[in-house]
Amino acid sequence: MNEQRVYTVSELNRAARGLLETSLGDVWMKGEVAEVTRAPSGHLYFTLKDSEAEIDVVRFRGRAPVLAALEPGMVVLAFGHATVYEPRGRYQFVASLVQPVGAGLLHAAFERLKEKLRQEGLFDVSHKRPLPAFPRLIGVVTSPVGAAMHDIAAVLSRRWPLARVVLFPSSVQGEAAPGELVAALGRAGRFTLEGTPLDLVIVGRGGGAAEDLAAFNDERVARAVYACPVPVVSAVGHDIDVSITDFVADLRAPTPSAAAELTTPDRAEIAESVRRMAERLRVAVGTQLASVDRVLRSALRASLVREPRRLVETREQKLDFLVSQLLRVPREALAPQVARLRHAEDLLRLTDPRRPLERGYSITFVEGKTTPLRLAADVVLGQRVETVLAKGRIQSRVEGVREE
Amino acid sequence: MKIEQALAKLEEITATLERGDLPLDEAIRLFEEGLALAADTKRQLDAARLRVDQIVEQAKDTLDVEPFDVS
Repeated sequence: MNEQRVYTVSELNRAARGLLETSLGDVWMKGEVAEVTRAPSGHLYFTLKDSEAEIDVVRFRGRAPVLAALEPGMVVLAFGHATVYEPRGRYQFVASLVQPVGAGLLHAAFERLKEKLRQEGLFDVSHKRPLPAFPRLIGVVTSPVGAAMHDIAAVLSRRWPLARVVLFPSSVQGEAAPGELVAALGRAGRFTLEGTPLDLVIVGRGGGAAEDLAAFNDERVARAVYACPVPVVSAVGHDIDVSITDFVADLRAPTPSAAAELTTPDRAEIAESVRRMAERLRVAVGTQLASVDRVLRSALRASLVREPRRLVETREQKLDFLVSQLLRVPREALAPQVARLRHAEDLLRLTDPRRPLERGYSITFVEGKTTPLRLAADVVLGQRVETVLAKGRIQSRVEGVREE
Repeated sequence: MKIEQALAKLEEITATLERGDLPLDEAIRLFEEGLALAADTKRQLDAARLRVDQIVEQAKDTLDVEPFDVS
């Protein structure tokens, strides 16, 4: 057995430092900032941590400036090396560069992926599919707990409630988000309701404080959007950053509400256009009816049968005149004859045999004869005679005859 | 009839009537059809209420429709 080497404290710390610096070298480290201390010397000390561990970090004065004021809770990338602070035997990280996540390396990765997908044709305008003007079935791929779903539902309720919305829940942040988004997009692509596939799918998340767009910059998500058989509208909810998903999507909307607005017509506008068309219908038919009416009227005017009553009335009037003329003929032209007739009637009335009866005379007939009895010799005894008085008749039998 | 079909049909009827070259009885028949279509479309627009469903993945890719609380 070799004699064991005994290190001094200084020697051990120096050896540890050497091991760390040579074997690890320069690395990028990501973590959440905690406990920031600015020393009067100008050096900056802070702690970086994740859910399980933490490490002291120092950034010496004179290095590249920190890109943003460090605040506890901020997630940053630090470039540097792990080392040991020999005087105190403390393990620490010496950072030469500190920047918020999203900048720098991530940005470079983003640009690389973007360029790669662009060259593959995932952003090609020729691949952008048209969206239906009147969507009936809209899929939404988003978190069931975020504001995105409620925002979309609110817009559609007001604007286009004829659509039916189907939510495909997926987380939109964190490690699991890309895989869940891909799965949800797959489900949305396969989904049918009563044999009809979705008209379009909105994929996104609500706006707000969340900084993490990583899931929407994920290559798998980008490819799932590209492969989706249904047109995809991205609504990642970030005004400044454009995500890879935005580039691949058939339409990019700044927010979920905007996506709902952009993909649906307005019910009130459609109702107004229906109303206008009904009005045009009325006008069109009214015009045709009016022209038919005009033709009909002029035809009636031209015809002899126009106002038939008046034709009859005219003739009636003429007839009345003729009749009255006719009636004047006996009254005027025949007046002398009428006078003579009346005179004759008077004379005739004077010869009426009934007149003497009024004064007490009577006329007697032999039964069965029609000439009045004038001579007593014209009767024999026992013969029946009838006497006519002014009023009534007397039947009698002859009892005696005296001739004179 | 779907809204877009109804609107297209209504547009067609209106254009036909505006040309004014149809026999009157045919024009009136079309007019009545157009008005009925307009009323029906208006009713659809007025009566519509948004329905939201939630699709959750179940075993072996079975799709299930559940109501989603919009309120």
